[in-house]
Amino acid sequence: MASGRGRGQSWLPAAALPFLAPAHGLVLGVIALPALYVVWLSVTSSTFGKAPTFVGLANYIQALSDPYFWRALANTIVVVLVVVHVELVLGLGMALLFASGLPARPLLLAAVLMPYAVSEVSAAVIFRFLFDADVGPVNVALQALGLPPLEWSVVPAHGLAIVALLSIWLHLPFTFIILYAARLAVPAQLYEAARIDGVSALQAFRYVTLPQLMPAIVVAMLFRYIFAFRLFSEVWLMTQGGPARSTEVLAVHLYLDAFRFNAFGAAAATGWLMVLISLVLGAGYLWVLRRQMTSDAS
Amino acid sequence: MRADRSIVVIGKVLAVTAILIWSLAPIAFIVVSAVKPSADIFAVPPRLTFVPTLKHFADLWSQWRGFFNGLVNSAIVTAGATLLAVGASTMAGYAYSRFRNPGMARSALFLVAVRLLPPIVIILPLFPMVNWLRLNDTHLVLIVLYATFFVSLGTLLMRAFIDQIPRELDEAALVDGASRFTILRRVIMPLSAQGMLALAVFVIVFAWNEFLFAFVFTSTRAKTAPLFIAEMMGSLDSFDWGVLFAASTVQLLPIVVFVLATQKHLVAGMTAGAIKG
Repeated sequence: MASGRGRGQSWLPAAALPFLAPAHGLVLGVIALPALYVVWLSVTSSTFGKAPTFVGLANYIQALSDPYFWRALANTIVVVLVVVHVELVLGLGMALLFASGLPARPLLLAAVLMPYAVSEVSAAVIFRFLFDADVGPVNVALQALGLPPLEWSVVPAHGLAIVALLSIWLHLPFTFIILYAARLAVPAQLYEAARIDGVSALQAFRYVTLPQLMPAIVVAMLFRYIFAFRLFSEVWLMTQGGPARSTEVLAVHLYLDAFRFNAFGAAAATGWLMVLISLVLGAGYLWVLRRQMTSDAS
Repeated sequence: MRADRSIVVIGKVLAVTAILIWSLAPIAFIVVSAVKPSADIFAVPPRLTFVPTLKHFADLWSQWRGFFNGLVNSAIVTAGATLLAVGASTMAGYAYSRFRNPGMARSALFLVAVRLLPPIVIILPLFPMVNWLRLNDTHLVLIVLYATFFVSLGTLLMRAFIDQIPRELDEAALVDGASRFTILRRVIMPLSAQGMLALAVFVIVFAWNEFLFAFVFTSTRAKTAPLFIAEMMGSLDSFDWGVLFAASTVQLLPIVVFVLATQKHLVAGMTAGAIKG
């Protein structure tokens, strides 16, 4: 190999460059450089086709003084927290159920994976129908049971609830697979030893399963935090952020600012705030969980 | 003891039933409703016996001919994005597997870190750039975008798969005077076909279903199938559920069958990509 052992080369080997070029070219050209350009956009005032002028932090002030921004931020946080944690609990429960021995497991696995193949758009079609105010079977069933129907197109909280439900339905297969694969990787001897020691099922879960699965849980959670934070299509296709902008999430808010209200600078500022929040969210959680794990271990 | 066991069995049966209903009922609902006569779609409780009809598909064909162009566009974009993503990722994955030093580690970290940026943020600067390049409403812009957003994960995935190929194989070929590109093509690619397939499944599912980028960057010529369905949903006054279900069925059946057929690769890819990445 070209790289000398232990010489601590800190630059890329020349022979590797042609192989790295396509991947890095795409990422640089399509993501990294445009992301820097967003910084420029966020401190200038411009509409399409006009020369930009430097405005300092005015766009950030405009973005932050918009009450809809705070509404969208709160909605995003609530939906992300609900979606990710419900997914983790359901995914973990399903992983343990599957690992406990089920007949026809490959078939069941295929069934559980199915929603992964469904587009956000098709999923929105079916959820809109199932929860339709007049004819939706789920709402009709709820009313037959004497329960209040889900008025997701009228009541903001219901709108967010259906968006969260749709999002969970679409992404549960991913969370489940990660946790299930991790559960299968736990050595059977550990459970064997716990059984010999006369440990109860609950204790086995607490002292064997949970610590063994923790790394996978953290990975799944971080993945889902980062991706759930981008939530756009589910909201756009169900409520478009309405009624009266009450169910907007940050991505929808940004889109409307940029493409409907022509506030490109404010949208760019919102964009950079989104980048910062998602970095803080990811890093903060990782830090908390690492600490928890190390204090558990000692 | 016996009573305990039967409670466990009953609990499992209930749980599995709930999981099956949760996962399959919505999909079955779309497909079944697509062949139901309009009057039966809204029957309460849902009617299980009915005379199947292809009327909604015929209506879809006559009223929404553009939708079928949308399917063609989706297929073109999916194929292009898959080739580009798998190609670029295999090349980079090979390099990261075979060359290791701090510089390489840093550049791999860069590749992953960039993925933290939300796509909606990238759309802001890309929109004027794409307009300026006159690439708006072309297949190319979606192909490049979809491939780019999979190249980080793809590279890690391919590195994980290529790591399993013994280095001795390509070192022997190097000694024989083969170029690295020849080695990649003749030695690495055949042996990492599993990984390439796993990655391809990911990209195909994503590209076939994607909404946000297609929504922003295409309008007529390159408009993909999901956008037509969204448009049908948006025309609220003439909301024809039958046609909507027919369109959804056409859009989702091929990809559902595809995922069923390639399930093993998908699971292998999900676990390798997430746990090692």
